[in-house]
Amino acid sequence: MAKNKSIPIKPSKLSVYLYIPNIIGYTRVLMNCFAFAICFSNKWLFCALYFISFVCDGIDGWVARKFNQVSTFGAVLDMVTDRISTACLLVILSQVYRPGMVFLSLLALDIGSHWLQMYSTFLLGKASHKDVKDSTNWLFKAYYGNRMFMAYCCVGCEVLYISLFLLVQNETEKLMDVLKASITEGSLVSVLVVLSLFGWAIKQLVNIIQMKTAADVCVLHDINKKERP
Amino acid sequence: MSGVEYLINLFCCSVSTFGAVLDMVTDRISTACLLVILSQVYRPGMVFLSLLALDIGSHWLQMYSTFLLGKASHKDVKDSTNWLFKAYYGNRMFMAYCCVGCEVLYISLFLLVQNETEKLMDVLKASITEGSLVSVLVVLSLFGWAIKQLVNIIQMKTAADVCVLHDINKKERP
Repeated sequence: MAKNKSIPIKPSKLSVYLYIPNIIGYTRVLMNCFAFAICFSNKWLFCALYFISFVCDGIDGWVARKFNQVSTFGAVLDMVTDRISTACLLVILSQVYRPGMVFLSLLALDIGSHWLQMYSTFLLGKASHKDVKDSTNWLFKAYYGNRMFMAYCCVGCEVLYISLFLLVQNETEKLMDVLKASITEGSLVSVLVVLSLFGWAIKQLVNIIQMKTAADVCVLHDINKKERP
Repeated sequence: MSGVEYLINLFCCSVSTFGAVLDMVTDRISTACLLVILSQVYRPGMVFLSLLALDIGSHWLQMYSTFLLGKASHKDVKDSTNWLFKAYYGNRMFMAYCCVGCEVLYISLFLLVQNETEKLMDVLKASITEGSLVSVLVVLSLFGWAIKQLVNIIQMKTAADVCVLHDINKKERP
């Protein structure tokens, strides 16, 4: 008697697009669109929406694993939404703060480092750019080895940008003046700014090192290719 | 090969992987920064923020899907069924026109700024109805820009499909 063979059900394209974590992803995109449209007219609503989107970023991975709906598309959607929302926040900060070049540079560093890192991840065939078990750099190992520390730096970065946005009172602000004033205030805000500033600094340093490491991977890829007969 | 084609080949063909990535990243960042400046001067600024999002999003997804498919470059879409895709990528001169048109439009908009803030639609209408060489330049570049943005949107959908199909095909393998 032939054994009953279970036919593997192939998910349709539409069903993958409708995975719960991906729907969370679309919601994040819509929230960000609306948030940036009203960012100057309703600062607090903007911050609330941005924060919720940030939280969703954390939970959609958990949801994907819980419901067995992990998808490549979901991971890319996540990454792209992160990059664009951070970019837009840096854009509006560059509009208000002087010198605006600071935020333009941070935008360039964010995009450049993540782009190079993703490229090198593909070249190495790694599962994720967060897998750097063989990295020799001590800061890298500390950053990626300890998820809590990494989370603190990422969150600190976003908190700093949002705080800077909320601290805006005039049409243009001098960045150093606002930072100094908020730190010397001696309030809870000062603690928040100093803590987030530290996390932000670590993250930018890691971004710079990541760019160099990833560039090396690209170069070695070519060198190794040439060696093969 | 004509002189122009030789030059384009020279500039577009990177011999090293690192060179190709450096190229791509520099393009993305310089376009992004230009859009940032435009969003500071023109109202509504959201237009340029959206163009920034589209540029980064579409190129990111396209590069990802290129890797998943193992293609040499995201410009290799010989098997694409979309007519606009084939027209765009099949004809390097047309593609160059659209890319150049896009950058020319952004630079022109920047040069047309006279006040601290400008209304985008007013500046565009004024420059087009002027009836000068500037009008011709703006109209020509506007057309190229429009095609490029349309291709960006289609590219995002196509690349997203590649990501989804990649997972579906992975699940099929025993």
